[in-house]
Formats: sequence, C-alpha cells, structure tokens
Amino acid sequence: MRWPWLFIGLAAVARALHESEAGIIDWHKSFIGVPNIASISTAPSFHAQQGRPPAEALLITSTASNVLAALHASDGSIAWRYIYEPDDNIVYYKRNQSTIVSLSGPGGATLRIFECSTGHLLAETRLHKPAEGLLQDPSDFGTAVAFAEGEGDAYVLTNNHVVRRVDAAGDVQWTWMSPDQTALVAYSCLIATPSALYVVGLAKSFASYTLHITALSPTLGTPLVDAHIPSSIATGPTDLLIFTSPPSVVWLENGAAHRVQLEPSLKEKPGKLSGREYVSVVDVGLESSFVGVLPDGSASVISLTESGANLWTFPESGSSDRYTDSVFVGAKDGQGRPYIARVFWSNEWGKASAHVYAPHLAGGLVSGFTFPFQTLSHGTIVHAAVHVAYVKETDLLPYVVLTTSTGTIELWQGDRMQWTREEGLSRVRMAEMIELPERLSEGGQKDRAKEGFVERVLRHAVDAQHLPQYLAHFFTRFATGSYESAASPVLPSEPDTLTRDPFGFRKIIVAATDLGTLYALDSRTGTVLWKKLLSDGSNEDSLHPEPTALVLPAKLFVLRTAAEGGPEVVLVAQRKMANGPVDTVVFHVEAVRGRDKVGKLKEGAILKGEEVIQGAAIESFLVDAQSRFVLFLDQFRQVYIYPNTEDSRSDLASLLPSLHVPLRTGTPGSAQITGHTLQPALGFDGRALAQPSWTTSLSPGESILSIVKRPQDPIASPGRVLGNRTTLYKLLSPHLFAVTSSSSSSCSIRVLDGVKGSVMYHAVLPTGRGESFPGREGSCDVKAIFVENWLVYIYWDPEGTGLGEAKGQRIVSVEFYEGQGPDDKIGSEGLSSFVPDALRVSMFERAFVFPHRVSAITTTRTTFGVTSKDLIVANEADQIQSFPRVLLNPRRTHGKPTAEQQEEMLVPYDPLVPDDPRRIVSHRYRIANVHGIVTSPALLESTSLVFAYGLDLFGSRVAPSKTFDVLSESFNKAQLVLTVAGLAVAIIVAKPAVGRKRLRERWYRP
Amino acid sequence: MTHTTLNYASIENPKSRHLPPPPGFSIASVTKSYEALKERRAWDFAVGPAKQLPMQAFMLYMSGGGVQIFSIGIVFMLLFSPFKNIAGINAAFAQFAPGTAPSPSRAQTFTTLPLQKLAYIACNIATLALGLWKCRSMGLLPTGSGDWLAFEPRGVAPEMSLL
Repeated sequence: MRWPWLFIGLAAVARALHESEAGIIDWHKSFIGVPNIASISTAPSFHAQQGRPPAEALLITSTASNVLAALHASDGSIAWRYIYEPDDNIVYYKRNQSTIVSLSGPGGATLRIFECSTGHLLAETRLHKPAEGLLQDPSDFGTAVAFAEGEGDAYVLTNNHVVRRVDAAGDVQWTWMSPDQTALVAYSCLIATPSALYVVGLAKSFASYTLHITALSPTLGTPLVDAHIPSSIATGPTDLLIFTSPPSVVWLENGAAHRVQLEPSLKEKPGKLSGREYVSVVDVGLESSFVGVLPDGSASVISLTESGANLWTFPESGSSDRYTDSVFVGAKDGQGRPYIARVFWSNEWGKASAHVYAPHLAGGLVSGFTFPFQTLSHGTIVHAAVHVAYVKETDLLPYVVLTTSTGTIELWQGDRMQWTREEGLSRVRMAEMIELPERLSEGGQKDRAKEGFVERVLRHAVDAQHLPQYLAHFFTRFATGSYESAASPVLPSEPDTLTRDPFGFRKIIVAATDLGTLYALDSRTGTVLWKKLLSDGSNEDSLHPEPTALVLPAKLFVLRTAAEGGPEVVLVAQRKMANGPVDTVVFHVEAVRGRDKVGKLKEGAILKGEEVIQGAAIESFLVDAQSRFVLFLDQFRQVYIYPNTEDSRSDLASLLPSLHVPLRTGTPGSAQITGHTLQPALGFDGRALAQPSWTTSLSPGESILSIVKRPQDPIASPGRVLGNRTTLYKLLSPHLFAVTSSSSSSCSIRVLDGVKGSVMYHAVLPTGRGESFPGREGSCDVKAIFVENWLVYIYWDPEGTGLGEAKGQRIVSVEFYEGQGPDDKIGSEGLSSFVPDALRVSMFERAFVFPHRVSAITTTRTTFGVTSKDLIVANEADQIQSFPRVLLNPRRTHGKPTAEQQEEMLVPYDPLVPDDPRRIVSHRYRIANVHGIVTSPALLESTSLVFAYGLDLFGSRVAPSKTFDVLSESFNKAQLVLTVAGLAVAIIVAKPAVGRKRLRERWYRP
Repeated sequence: MTHTTLNYASIENPKSRHLPPPPGFSIASVTKSYEALKERRAWDFAVGPAKQLPMQAFMLYMSGGGVQIFSIGIVFMLLFSPFKNIAGINAAFAQFAPGTAPSPSRAQTFTTLPLQKLAYIACNIATLALGLWKCRSMGLLPTGSGDWLAFEPRGVAPEMSLL
C-alpha cells in the first residue's frame, strides 16, 4: 500500500453512527411551514375521496416556507410534502378529485401536477422563463387554474395574459396569448365550461376597473368572443368573484353586488344581484355561494341560482365587542353540497365558536358549537378550513382546522381537539441550548445560599434517612453494571422534573420565531416544553391577544446559567408597529418553566416585554463582567443596559474606558465597519455615547453579508505542538472577528481586530455566476466559521482559470499563529491590540474541494475545548454532515510526511475532502432547508450536542474524538466484577492455608 | 516445669579466638596484602558501573526507540540505579574500608576511600547520562516549549471588544 499511514490517520476519525444509536440519540421533526393564508388559492383545504371515511381525508395547503403538503386529517401527520426552491414560490394550487395542479415562480412560471393521495409528482412543465414572469402583488394575481370536465386536462392562466390547456402529462395542448399585452387588460380568473372557457380580467380605465371577459374555444384555444362588460370596480381583483354553477361573475360596484351570467356569446346583460349594500365580498371557494359583509359587519351568505340569488344572514354577526371579526370558509361534503362556516372568538365566553350553515338541510340549518381554543398560547385564529364528514339531520359535526397567528394548526371536532401541529417551529430564527439545573434533594428547593449552619446540619440529618436506599441502589448498580452509557437514551428518572442527566445530554433549547413566539424544546426528544407569546405591548392583559405589532427577535442571550441559580434567557426583539415606529423590547424568561421575569411571574400568560429603547437598537451585546448584562446601542449610538441595576451600572462605568465596539455603518450598498469607543456621559440624559475611532476601507458598492464572531469557549491549549516539540502559538486575541462582504464583481472575507481595526486576513473570492444560481447573478454564497485561531469558509468557485480546473464548492481552512514560526511567542491572548507585536502574525492556509453546497456551518463545542472540533454543515442534500478537523488541517503535508510530521498525525494533502456517508449525522432523515445549526457542550468532554433548525428540526449529539471518557458499550463489566470477586474469594480461602504452611516451614526447616 | 535456656553468649567469645598463630605466620604481612587487596577490590567496585555501560547501551539499542514496557523498564533501571547506588555509597564501600580505620563507624563516612567513591559517583553519573540520552531519543525529556505549554501564563487583554 502506497500511503499506509494515511489509513492509520483516518482510522482514528472514521467513526460512523451505529445503527443501534439511530433514533435513540437523535430526533427529527418534519414541518410543512405556516399555511399561506393570504389567498384562497394557497390556503389550507380539505381533500376527501368520495365514499371514504372522513379520517382518510387530507388537509392540503401551501405554506409560507414554500412547501405544498398534505396532512392526514386523522392524526395530523404529514402524508406528503413537496419543497419548492426558494426562488420558485408557490403562487397558486388547485385540486380536483385525484390531482393537484400548482403554479410557482414569478407569474406562475412552472406548472406541476401532483397525485393528491401520494404526492407523487406526475408532471412538471416550465411555462415561461422566470425572468419573463411579471411580479404581482398579491403574488397569485394573474394566475389561475381550471379543470376541464372529465378529461384530466387543465386550463392554466399565467402572467395575467397567457392561457394554456395542459394535459395530465404536463404537455401544452394549445396556447392563447392576449393579443394586446400592452393594453390595460389583466386577466385573473378562468371559468371552464364544456362550451367555452371564459378568461375574466379587469381593464384599467380612469378611476376604476372595468370587467373584461374573453371566451375561448376549449378544444382549440381560439377566441370566440371578447367583451367589455359595463362596470366600475373601484378596488381591483379583491372585489371580483367567479362562480361555475351557474357560470357567472360577481363584482362589487358602489357597494352593490353585480352579476353577469356567462354564455358563449357573452350577450348576457349584467344586473344588480340584490338590493343590499355590501362593504366587501369574501370568496369562500364554493361554486355558487359567497359571503357578503354588510355595513353593520354582519355577514350574508349569497347563493346564486339561475335566475337570481338566495340570501341568508348569519345571526348575531354584526360588529360587536362581544366577539371578534369572523373567518368565513366554505366546504363541500361527499355529495358536493355546500356548507359555509363562520369561525370567531367570543370574548363573552372566552372560547372560540364555529357556526356552519347548510343551505340544503331543513331549509337552511345552522349548527353551532363552541370549543376551548387556547388563545393565550396560540394567538388568534387567522384561518379555518372545514370538512363536513358526518351529516345528521340536525347536526353537522364538522372537522374544523384552525390556523393561528402563531403558526399552529389545530383540528377540532366539536369541542374536542384531535391534534395540533406547531408549525411555528419552522420559523425559528435563533436558538440557544441551555443547561438544566441539577436535581436537588427533597427539601432543598429553597435557596441554599441563605441556609445557616444549623439548618444545613439538620438538612443533612434528614437526608441521611435515604442512605440505606442509596447504598442498596449503589451496589445493585455496581453489580449489574446498569450505568448510563453515552449511547443510551437519556431517560429522566422523574419524567415531570426538568433536571440535568448525569452526562448533561439533556438541555433546554430556547428558540425564538419571527411569529412572535418563544419556544422551549427538550433536547432529547424535541418535544415542546413551553410556548410563550411575546407581547406586542398592547395585549399583555387581554384574554384574547390580537397582534397589533410585529415582534421580531434580534438576539438571544443567556443571562444566567443553571450553576448561577437557575437559567435565565433574555430575548432582544424589535417591535414594529403597524404604522411604522420601531421599539426595542426585552423579554426576560426563566428558561426551565418559562416564567416571566419582567412581569409578575405569571405562569401560562403572555410574556411581557420591557421597553428598553424607544426606537431601534442598532446592536446589542452581552457583557460578561462581574455581573452579566446586555448592552444596547440606539440609532444615535447611545448606550442602554438591561437589567438596569446598581451592579450592572457600576460594572459598565468601570468597563467603559476599555470597551471597543465595531459596528456596521454606512448605507446599504456602501457599508463599512467602524470601530467605536464609549465615552461616558456624552449622550442625552447622561448616557454613554459611542464615538468612532477607526473605519474599514471597503470599496464603494460593497455590502456586508455577515459578521462571524468567535464563540467565547474555553481554549484548552494556547499552542499547537509540532513533532519536534516546538510550539506554534495560536493567535488567540479575543478581538478578532471575520466579515464577509459582497460587491457586484467579487466577494471577500476579512479578519479584523475589533479594537484597532487591523486587517489580519483578507481574501477576495469570485461571485457565483448566473448559471449556477439562476436569478442570483453576482451573489455571494460564502459561509464562514471562526473558532479559536481557525477560520473556515466555503464558497462557490464558478470557474477555474487553468486547464483541467473545475467549478465547484471550495473550502478554505486558515489557521492563525503568533510570530513568524515555531516558538515565536507574543502572548496574543493577553496582548493589547495597540502593541506593535500584535501584528506579528503568520498563517497557514489551504483550499480543498468541498463535496456540497452548504446552507449552515458550525463546529462542535465541548466543555473544556480539549476534544478536536469537527466541522458540522447542513448540505444541499438536506443532511447534517460532520467533517473531521484532521482533514481540514491547513498544515497537511505535500507528499509523504516525515517522522516528525507523522508524530503530529498530519495527513498528506488531498485536494478533495472526502464525502464520507458514515459521517452523516442525520443518517436517513431529511432535514430540509436548514439555516442554522447550534452546538453546545454536554457535561462529557467528548460529546457535543447538535441542534439544527430550518423548515425541519433535528437534534443529535456527536463525539468528534469518540466517547473517550465513558466505557464503551462492549466493555465487559460482568467479567471484571467476576474476576475481582474470584480473586477475593481465592485470597480468603488461601490466606489461612498459607499461614499454616509458613508456620510449619518455621518449625521443620531443613 | 523446668525451663531450658540456651547460653548464646558462650558462642560470641569462642576460645579459638585467643589461640596463638601458627609458626611462621606474620600477622603484619597478611594484614598488609589484605589491605592492598581491599583497595584493589574497592577500585574494581568503583568502576563497576562503567564496565556495564557497553552492555547497557547494547540492551538499549536492542529495546528500540518506541515507548514500550521493555524500553521503559530498562530506562527506569538506568535512571534509578545511579541514585540508589549513590545513596548507598558509604554502606557499599564499608566492606573495603582499610583496617587502619579507627572505628567501624568511621568506615561509613565519605572520607574513607574518597577517590574510589568519586570514581564510583562519576561512573554512576555516566549510567544516568546514558539513561537520559535514551529518554531524550525516545522523546521523554521535556525539553521543547511544547512540553511546558500547559504551564505558560495566559493573560487577559487590557481592552474588551464587544462583538
């Protein structure tokens, strides 16, 4: 073998997840995303096969995470989901009995046909180039799908002027384009009848829109008639509804509903539908019914007939403070009969209520029920879908699926909740893993710090009664060898207590979403421990928190750890009011139970935010001094702190002269990083003020993509010892951080000193070209991570310059060292940045070909930093994969390593980083669209916990250098115990015999 | 019951000790050659460790450069035996003390046979040196900066940057 030592080197790192560990040490949760309820063409709807039991129904929806999915109505599990590319957003979906047709991309560029029950993609057709798509607002405007009767073909309207007939295989039968694209007619709806296909649009005239209808031949696509209907629609497509039986168009004109029936010659005259005035009309997705909202807020159901319309009004639906505005939704049962439901929250009852109207039953039956919807934890109801499964003479018992403002999907049948899905977890923006407190013995729940000597002795005396139990437990445990091993699942001794396990594998993951919620998950299983609504300032004490402002999380800090007396987290959020102003609020939570520290420790209520700045904060930092506090800078760079206590104020005052803050400055497109020092009492109200001290010289047109800071983890060794026992001292200056930036022609990465602004490293990278990222020309896809003295970045190299070079992902590994070589020491960890020596730095740098595009990157973290740090990435194949540091060592040798290099375990350089399937941490799971990975140390030095979030959530643990600090699973404990016991028995038996023999030898010595 | 006691005291002073020497036997000449013999033996003993050095070097060579049980055993022997020898130097040389020594206790002091003892120490140091050389070649001597890395002081930077 040519390179035998290569395999020796790799033997240590080749460690795969054992089959027995899969699913035990890891978990994953699949999500579909928060349903896209902006339009009825993307919102959830039920799909039930005729004659099948209702539990087999599917809930089909497209979501804000760009997923088309079907959920089982029986238990809420995912039947199937199809994840669209980020630049291919779903704008429209429509289903018939067996298939779903979806349009995605700008103007509906791509058509896909799915099988309803399995989600199999039957056909995919590009209708026009995405670049030719017209961007619409709302995005589904100008796109529509209608099914041709019986043949499985569909008519598709895209880009508001092109109509195609597409067969079940996705092939286009004919295409009709509006002859005058420049004209002001924008088509938005299709009505398919056997005799004609009506394309309904609006033509812009002076103050309003006019209805314009074109009738096409269904078989040939030739235009039959083109007609302007005399009308005046003020607001646009929201006031336009279409119906198929009878085929007609309804619109709102000056508060009155008008209707025109459609027949191939388009000769029918429009007429007023009824004498009532409507504020708005609501499309509920039915063939002949819609809801009209009257000026007093009450809702009428209007059912079209051949000649006119039937009218029925929901009782007690007028505007009132006893209940909220209603959500209206239509449904059809197995026989195709329509139902219209009204779902609202009743302030009077403190419950949600649903009224279902069945026009055909008993001359118009309304079946109503209330159900205990948990509005305090799930927010408000924003959408409902109804499935009428069991129809009795007097009762309807519908399934009601609610979508809430916090992204929860709940299925209620009557007042029983069947299942709930926390789809808000697909919108996690930031997460932290927090160590749990140790389990305290009984009676030790109170504060031990205040305990006196006598109390302590008494407590120990009381505890002593458990000693026999403890001893018995100890000996059985010792004898049977039933220890917890690193590979065993972490099972809590008491399921209801949140305490640390022996190895610290159990942590709390606190995650903030951009839906204004804060979740705590159990890191062993991913189950939700608590969920809290973040108050937007107006609804703290309300029993039905209607969101009036957007609460967007900005930073999440651990203010207190478990060892310091109970973990506490602080979430810094920007509160955006609907009318513009932005405030900075802080939510302070005790992490184990989710108790509010700002409010009055109310459990189960909404988290109350403390407003720190009346305005946006440009940055916030956690300052870890004698006390820990969060420091904020407002737009005028004035300093605010939280918690604003005497301790933190005095800490800040003493730290102020030594604090240096690099900030992003400049306008978007010509950004800079500017270093600031803090001057006391220069700001308004005696606040400290940040004054600029240095600035970078980024070229004009460059914008900053990300700032990569180093985790403040313990560093086990300040140097790297070489084979000849000299040392390369690591550059451990605490002020270094990396900045990635992009301009139109290039991307770059820099390592800067945060105090002085010195550029320690600068590399210019090529931009991604158009062919690799369609529609993202000149984009920079640089992912970087910086730990200790090790900077790694992955970028797309569009084209090699030389012969035989290929495009692909590149990973560059850079290690920074002090001085010019081994044993050249400057003591960077404790060195002032202003000392000239601080710039005496050398680096090793090596580029490799990386097998994957990555969407998130991090390294493992361990308690003491002794264990080698593996790179953990989320790759484009929706997997979480780890790469050993050994392979990314920039000092890998060229050619055969010398004896000294061998001693250092250096592996010869190979341009390709091997794509080792054994190191896929997520094994067979698909972890889709990951955009963040959080790692956190366990109590075991060897092990690091991994949590990945994106559309899906994934948790596992990895041991980069194997679990060297626990006995392996194969260790034979029984053999050891038996050997020791056997030896003990032998000694006991042999001791008297040996004594007698010795005595005899004394007497009878020859 | 009668007790039987053994009179060991009578063994300590045998009567044969006071017998006159045989004819022609001069106690002085015997003592003189005996002293010369003792001195020669003392020198032999002093350079003894040096004589073993080639053999030990050969054993070291044979035991190889790796850190294994054999090489470690030999190296430990080489490192510890000089100290053990030097610690017991006076006792070891007491048997060679000249008969002119005033008292047996004086024989245990360093001033008796000083040259031999110095030679002995030098030879032991040579053994120790061999052991240390072996240690060094096995990489067991903490000579590089890497061996002291964990003890190096690590400072705290005077500035604090918020990132």
